[in-house]
Amino acid sequence: MSEVLARLDGIERRFGSVVALDGADLILRAGEVHGLLGANGAGKTTLLNVIGGMLRPDAGTIEVGGSVVSFQTPREAWTCGIALAHQHFALVPAQSVLENLALGLARGWADPVRDVRAKALKLMDRIGLRVPLDSRVDHLGVGDKQRLEILKALLKNPRVLVLDEPTAVLAPNEISGLFALLRELAAEGRAVVLVAHKLDEVLMVADRLTVLRAGRTVLSTVPGDYEIPDLVRAMVGADPVDAIAIGVDVEPRSTKREPGESVAHLDRVSVTGGPGVDLEEVSLHVYRGQVVGVAGVEGNGQRSLALLLAGRVSATRGSVTLPEGLGFIPQDRSTEGLIAAFDLTDNVALALHRVAAYQDGPWLRWSELTRHAETIHERFEVQATSTSVLAGSLSGGNQQRVVVGRELSIATDLLIAENPTRGLDVAAAAFVHDEIRRLVATGVGVVLVSTDLDEVLALSDRVFAMTRGRLLEVDEGQRSREGVGALMLGGAFAHA
Amino acid sequence: MNEIEIALFLESGVRLGIPLALAALGETITERSGVINIGLEGSIIAGALGGAVGALAFGDPAVGVMAGALAGVAVAFVFAAFAIGLGTDQIITGTAITLGGLGLTGAVYQARFGATGTALTLPTLPSAPVPLLSDIPWIGGALFDQAPTAYVAYALAPALWYFLFRTAWGLELRAVGEAPIAAHAAGVRVRRVRFLATVFGGGLAGLAGAHLALAHAGTFAEGMSAGRGFIAIAVVVLGRWNPLLVLCAALFFGAASALQFFLQAFGFDAPYQLFLALPYVLTLAALAGWVGRSRAPAALALPWRSE
Repeated sequence: MSEVLARLDGIERRFGSVVALDGADLILRAGEVHGLLGANGAGKTTLLNVIGGMLRPDAGTIEVGGSVVSFQTPREAWTCGIALAHQHFALVPAQSVLENLALGLARGWADPVRDVRAKALKLMDRIGLRVPLDSRVDHLGVGDKQRLEILKALLKNPRVLVLDEPTAVLAPNEISGLFALLRELAAEGRAVVLVAHKLDEVLMVADRLTVLRAGRTVLSTVPGDYEIPDLVRAMVGADPVDAIAIGVDVEPRSTKREPGESVAHLDRVSVTGGPGVDLEEVSLHVYRGQVVGVAGVEGNGQRSLALLLAGRVSATRGSVTLPEGLGFIPQDRSTEGLIAAFDLTDNVALALHRVAAYQDGPWLRWSELTRHAETIHERFEVQATSTSVLAGSLSGGNQQRVVVGRELSIATDLLIAENPTRGLDVAAAAFVHDEIRRLVATGVGVVLVSTDLDEVLALSDRVFAMTRGRLLEVDEGQRSREGVGALMLGGAFAHA
Repeated sequence: MNEIEIALFLESGVRLGIPLALAALGETITERSGVINIGLEGSIIAGALGGAVGALAFGDPAVGVMAGALAGVAVAFVFAAFAIGLGTDQIITGTAITLGGLGLTGAVYQARFGATGTALTLPTLPSAPVPLLSDIPWIGGALFDQAPTAYVAYALAPALWYFLFRTAWGLELRAVGEAPIAAHAAGVRVRRVRFLATVFGGGLAGLAGAHLALAHAGTFAEGMSAGRGFIAIAVVVLGRWNPLLVLCAALFFGAASALQFFLQAFGFDAPYQLFLALPYVLTLAALAGWVGRSRAPAALALPWRSE
């Protein structure tokens, strides 16, 4: 077996009272791509941050090249040849790409960017990842930010490359390009470790797998030794419930639900100045009892589309018709969906306080609101001791249950769901999918905007691809990962 | 106004602008690291007292200037120990430091020099005209016939600009103020950088205070900083956190203050309080019209603690 570059043994780490890692082991060998698997909250990111020197473990040992090390800062990790590409990009938004690449590389009085430019150009040529060097990072799309984060790690020429969720925001062909690169890097004698939220993606590239559950290494194996259901069981500790969430064998919906009357209508709508690219001449009918799925690489205007349909931004041109009973599940539950410092009742009240049933003149009917919050708490199985706990103290999956529960209760006509399962574990994602299906069956129209192609294909009656601010309907025959992926990237060749 | 009056106006504008420039240049560096030091006023008044004590003790204003800078550093050190070391709220800590600084310097002054009411006479920092430059018509005398501390401000503005935007250290400092998590990930010691930036800013504020006592007034008076710490913070905003523009903004503010005296002297018949308000009104107008488009460092006033 090839040389061990890094070995983590019995790593423990807690944050306050929360145990994130509880005896995690990981062995990284030269020439191998190592896939790290686990449900949400299993401790994958924490473990990677420990390897990268971002976090110090409470217990356990890290060995690099045979000797025990203890990293005080990430810089000490690089000097040991370990570089980490962060999941939530560790970038400085107000600075240029070049300055971000230079940060930490150049020292002292030196001009930080001069040497780095040449190095960066050479690296980009070699590996075929391109980012505009002189753009400011906050002007980049999320895909470019991801590429930059990977470039930044590679620029340190690491022997151990650590990638946390690099594929979540990339299009299918970009993912295969990245994986080819990782194979090459491994072939040069490096070790690569990556986390990806799709099991089949990891299986596509990994030579070896480690499964974390509840902060502990429960399985270390090579692909092929275990069947997918066994891996999933190792991850979640129970039978898998939702094929979509783990990305296995998803068939596009074949049976179409019959459309009811039109419940929302966009007529040649343009939106300028929103997040991402501008919307151009978008037309769309949403019918009761159907799911409209919108796929696309992030930054192509789907955020503007979701906000437009949710009534959060107004059209620059064109007409928008929206119904009364409108629910909106925003993509970022922790900043847009909920107020972390409010309890669950207050958070529920935020969406319901304008509904007549909860008003009494200038006052709110707090007893009604509390009862409603309790209903959501029970019916959506929110893991919280009561409705008076702070939203910020819940796990991501439970926060999303609160948001989904609240929005479903007001979505009597239309629901806009924007990346509703992003970052959720298998069970929580399955729950959200089931709730959306149930809602559609009651005659509500749903618009699902998601960067997760499998989710869009599996839930939607009609599928659209968003590319450079335009909305293209996908023919029945093209409804596959490859077909939609091609549309997402090559809008120019598609029919409008 | 005739030629002499205009020259006089320009000279007093620069003279009033210099202490603001020194303090604001220091605060620019501090704020670029993500720390807003409302305690700047405390460093200025400590610098004034330190300057007075140092100059008297050694009979040399140059020693006074050094002592003033050190006193400013000491006050900023206390602020940094709380705000950065312990992560206390920067606004409240800074306010406490300012109020404490004003009170403590008053107490020390009275203990040391008595409360007799006779003004202290200090060895002053003489103006040092720069050969050739000071002969330039109109602005020569105003800009280049000043106390040596003024030339420190002129030299610092481009030097700090170069430091911020052309050196790796400057890049790290700006990254710490914009995105401390990214700086930490790049191996930068966030709190150390902030500590150094804050103490540096305190040193320049102390220098500003020493300039007030030794070059400006020739004496020390309780509360003689007169809100300059707060004005310097506004000057940083006006100068968009860019040392070159900050120097210009400080001189602009100095000129506005000088204009107020001149308008009064030329007998404009209006309550003098209106003239006193002039620099602040101009500053508000400038802030509204110009700075609206710029943006403070993203992590300004946010404490940082790596986990």
